[in-house]
Amino acid sequence: MEISRKTMEAATAVVTGGVGALICYGSTENGIGWGAGGPEPGYFPFGIGCLILLGSLATLVQTFWKYAGARHPGPGAVAEEPFIDGTRLRLLVAFALPIMAMTAISVWLGLYIGMGLYIFYTMRVSAGFRTLSSLATALLVIAINFVVFEKLFMVPLLKGPILEYFGIY
Amino acid sequence: MGNFGQLMDGFAVALTLHHVMIMVIGVLLGLIVGVLPGLGAPNGVSLLLPLTFTMDPISAIILLTSMYWGALFGGSTTSILFNIPGEPSSVATTFDGHPMAKQGEAVRALTLAFGSAGFGAMVGVIVITLLSSWVANFALRFGSPEYFAVYFMAFASFIGMAGGSPFKTLVCIMLGLAVGTVGMDTISGEGRLTFGITQLTNGISFLIVVIGLFGIGELLLTIDEGYKFDGVKAKLSLPVILRTLAELPRYWVTLLRSALVGCWMGITPGGPTAASFMSYALGRRFSKRGKYFGKGEPEGIVAPETADHSAGSCALLPMLALGVPGSATAAVMMGGLMIWGLSPGPMLFTSRPDFVWGLIASMYMGNVIAVVLVLATVPIFAWILRAPFTVVGPLIAIVCLIGAYTVSNHMFDVWVALAFGVAGYVFKKLDYPLAPFVLAVVLGDKAEDAFRQSMLSSGGSLAVFFENPLVASMMGIGILLLSLPLLSALFNGLFRRGAGAGQTSSS
Repeated sequence: MEISRKTMEAATAVVTGGVGALICYGSTENGIGWGAGGPEPGYFPFGIGCLILLGSLATLVQTFWKYAGARHPGPGAVAEEPFIDGTRLRLLVAFALPIMAMTAISVWLGLYIGMGLYIFYTMRVSAGFRTLSSLATALLVIAINFVVFEKLFMVPLLKGPILEYFGIY
Repeated sequence: MGNFGQLMDGFAVALTLHHVMIMVIGVLLGLIVGVLPGLGAPNGVSLLLPLTFTMDPISAIILLTSMYWGALFGGSTTSILFNIPGEPSSVATTFDGHPMAKQGEAVRALTLAFGSAGFGAMVGVIVITLLSSWVANFALRFGSPEYFAVYFMAFASFIGMAGGSPFKTLVCIMLGLAVGTVGMDTISGEGRLTFGITQLTNGISFLIVVIGLFGIGELLLTIDEGYKFDGVKAKLSLPVILRTLAELPRYWVTLLRSALVGCWMGITPGGPTAASFMSYALGRRFSKRGKYFGKGEPEGIVAPETADHSAGSCALLPMLALGVPGSATAAVMMGGLMIWGLSPGPMLFTSRPDFVWGLIASMYMGNVIAVVLVLATVPIFAWILRAPFTVVGPLIAIVCLIGAYTVSNHMFDVWVALAFGVAGYVFKKLDYPLAPFVLAVVLGDKAEDAFRQSMLSSGGSLAVFFENPLVASMMGIGILLLSLPLLSALFNGLFRRGAGAGQTSSS
């Protein structure tokens, strides 16, 4: 699957425009007019939302304008260029999904277990190490992080129910 | 020269064993951050910031600025040895640095880069020493309309001088401002743009935004670009280093020109990346050997490196003296100052002179330490970089996620950072500028407060922004900068009809 740059430009502009509209809507809850003491709290965000909408619309128009020439070759025309091709996209997803999974697991079981599982997975599957060395790397990463954050900087990370069961807070 | 005495007091603060140790640690951390792609100076400083909350502010800022110097230097190592810029601002160094390294002169290329970088940084620090208290004194007269005008000018200059699409810059600035407004409103106490999500009541920290946009986004980009190190071996030899350092003064014209470009781009929010590209282009245009640029020409290394570093240091001047940071990293540091309970700006010079001058003195020291350490550690980092990215990447990912968590100990922040990571990746690939985004997040509150306070004092009349010559001329410059893309489009339309359609960005 290949995604063209034009599609991505347009999609991004639509999304930023949507965010702009959302901000406009959200700011109406605080009042967007001028009160007795100057602008109401929603005045500034409302303007911001409008400007995002404006900028997104202009980008959208610019995108179609720029790529309109692609179909009629001539001076100044821009050829269709890819944003990302299939191979790269698969690589990217294969990299991003485990990170998401680690975050989801960390919410549930704590950061230490999350990062251990994640490192084990990436070492074993992506980097192709043997099971034993992957396990050792994962434990090493946990140990280093534990010492650095809990002992050196005294910044406690999320422990989760399992570590707490073993009395590690 | 009142500054000189204060600078000496600053050295007394900075030159304690404790602070020199902190500088060494900071520079080393910075080198790691600068060398590893996916970890940059803004992101590295953001990751370290939550760990400094318990330190005293002087030690903390020395640690962070030292890390900044280290990151600026580290980025050049990979540019030269591997043709992969560790930092966006060292992209221009690859043009001549890598070819020279390939010709077997890696050590000469590295020494040229670090030597000229050190020179650039020194010029930047001297400019800060000479100008900062003057600018701060000048800014003491500022009221809220003047402050709003300064912020307006900073944002307008991004739109006017960015080079890319002005609309994309506009969208980025406004998105950043919007992120800054989320949460409790400082004046009315109402929650804004929270959409009923309780975790948003405290707002979205700029640190989360930076970790997402620059950290995770950069990481995804690295994966996408198919990361492969194919490096040149560098064997350090002292005679070559010394010979190259002795060669450096021969390029004094390039050094001075680039330092000037860098200082200018650093003080105005152009940033180091723009400065290095501009300086490289000027070097190619004006140097006698300009036509050899790109083939391993010494001046092609000296020009971008000097400008990069003088811009990097000068970016701290407006942050300290005005409270308007000149680069993304300076924006993060300014956020740090506010968290430590210091308010950046002219008052800082009178309320905490020990902090300001201690910091400035530490910049001299930190850069000297950085030049020595970066040369000494080249073999180590060249070795680290041979590790496959399938191993290094996940480690960087963990550092980013933990960093996002430590900001306020909420897993919700980690999800927000991931979302910003995806946004950062897409934005970067589509040439949306990210530095104005971060600047806007940090400055958003202050810009809005300045605007609303001006409105309160004037009874809602916009004329307050034009009532005295100072504020009127600043607003005028801002408006001029805003209309620059329009003017140049008109100019192109009138005189160069049909040619040069479509814009490209350089960062």
